Amino acid sequence: MISLRKVWTVAERDMRTFLRYKFLLIMRAIWFLAQIALFGLVVNQMLRPDVQTSVGGNYFNFYVAGIIITMLYSTAVFIGYDIYEEADHGVIEYLLSVPVSRQELVIGRSIGGGLRSFIYVSPMMLFVLYLIGISNPIQLLVAFMSLFLFTFGVAGFSITLAVSIKSSDRFDILLGVFDALIVRLSTTLYPIAYMPQYYAGIAKFNPLTFAADLFRWGAGIESTFLTSPAIAAFGIVSFFSIFTFLGIFLHERKIEGGGWQ
Amino acid sequence: MPSIIRIANLTKKFGSLVAVDHLSLEIEDGEILGLLGPNGAGKTTTLLMLTTVIKPTEGTAFIGLHDVTREPDKARTLVGMAFQEPKLLWVSTPWDVLDWHAKVCGLSTDERKKRVRWALEELELWSERHKIIHTFSGGMRKRVEIAKILIQRPKIAIIDEPTSQIDIVGKHRIWNMIRDLRDEGSTILLATNELYEADLLSDRVAIMHRGKLLVCDEPKKLKDSIPGGDVIEVALEKDVSQKSLEKLKEINRIVDILTTKPNHLKIYLNQAEEVLPQITKFFMKARTPIKSIHMSEPSLDDVFAHYTGLTIEEAQRR
Repeated sequence: MISLRKVWTVAERDMRTFLRYKFLLIMRAIWFLAQIALFGLVVNQMLRPDVQTSVGGNYFNFYVAGIIITMLYSTAVFIGYDIYEEADHGVIEYLLSVPVSRQELVIGRSIGGGLRSFIYVSPMMLFVLYLIGISNPIQLLVAFMSLFLFTFGVAGFSITLAVSIKSSDRFDILLGVFDALIVRLSTTLYPIAYMPQYYAGIAKFNPLTFAADLFRWGAGIESTFLTSPAIAAFGIVSFFSIFTFLGIFLHERKIEGGGWQ
Repeated sequence: MPSIIRIANLTKKFGSLVAVDHLSLEIEDGEILGLLGPNGAGKTTTLLMLTTVIKPTEGTAFIGLHDVTREPDKARTLVGMAFQEPKLLWVSTPWDVLDWHAKVCGLSTDERKKRVRWALEELELWSERHKIIHTFSGGMRKRVEIAKILIQRPKIAIIDEPTSQIDIVGKHRIWNMIRDLRDEGSTILLATNELYEADLLSDRVAIMHRGKLLVCDEPKKLKDSIPGGDVIEVALEKDVSQKSLEKLKEINRIVDILTTKPNHLKIYLNQAEEVLPQITKFFMKARTPIKSIHMSEPSLDDVFAHYTGLTIEEAQRR
């Protein structure tokens, strides 16, 4: 039987730890501002009117909504780095010794890793929504709830990857590659219609595509190229479920203290 | 007394290395059991298996009624561990670490605050409670690690090298706190390679070497188990005859007598404190006045050497 109190205690720890990495938080915020104030505005000027129309009338709005998803992804994935930091200091062994079940530990860490990402990105999200303008609050609420699950799923994915690899160097390299592929093979930065067909085939099933299109739908961006909200929500729920289950499975069967590089 | 920890054939292999080799041991409720051995003896690996941090390759252990391989979640509810190397993130503060530890162990808010404050004050960390651990010395970090278990007060406290990196004043304070913890109802399993610490704190000492349990008993019984382990050195007013020496040897528990000078004897025996009156009586009867007498008992190092042929220091170096 999973204790919600213990799950929350584990999640709370990860949230508090995240707040201590002040340098990282400031740098990520600067990156976000640079992406929208420089890249987003400049690229928006370069695009033809027909392209602008196809993405809902304004590429800048389409782009900033996507950047929010990349921010959510890159901060939620940070929990994997925390795991290596903890392995370096032996904290993994400590966490495995406390009176918390492995399920509570993984679910707590996924929630903590996701929630801290959501809380951190929230002011940026509100800023972006202010720029775009909110047209349908109920749609937006549905999108928010799905994004919650999306961040938990990304944290679960990162935890799964970290505990499977057990090498910080390999994790770092792999995450760099994943970041390049997952972000670029999704609709976070550009619509699916402009991708070569074989890229689009992969992008259609990318959780970042589901999250980005759902957020755009929630924000009222009317593009003909967005994934259906029902499919996107289903995709996010599946993504969250698969990686939470995998994380629990690995913690119960494979995880032991020691042996981390 | 009933056993609260039952270890049966516990084995851990890392590739071809057998870290713990078919260890069987029972630990009684309310005792302090010292697990003594050099580095690499398998002490920490044993403790990590008992706390379910690592899984046994063979055999198992029962914490209370719970099998660590089948019911690890239940086993962990009874156990708390202070690790040899402090397990602390460099960005954390002692307050964060201990408050979270108390919370995850299920302490109420009031109790948590009370115990965390008490432990930090007792271990002289109160004024540093909000400083990040990165700035702490090894001894301070170790005190934070020990504080976890003092706050938790688990049914079974597992403590790995409790006073390594701690100064002598701090050592005494921690030893007293460990005794208090036992008096409050915890069973304590203490791994150490410090002989004095094991001797001072343990009701029983289990000696490990190369993953195997060599012997387990009360420190006094272990020392007495070495034939002729106690030594009494006697300086006499006059020389002793060979005949007197032969008669002296007949006293029960005297194993050997060495004449270092004609009036200076080194007597190897067991349970010296019980035999000493007989020896003094013997010399009084023989009208040989005693000038001085010096008694020494074997240390746990002698016990270790008796079973392995090596002192702990030698074993550590190999």
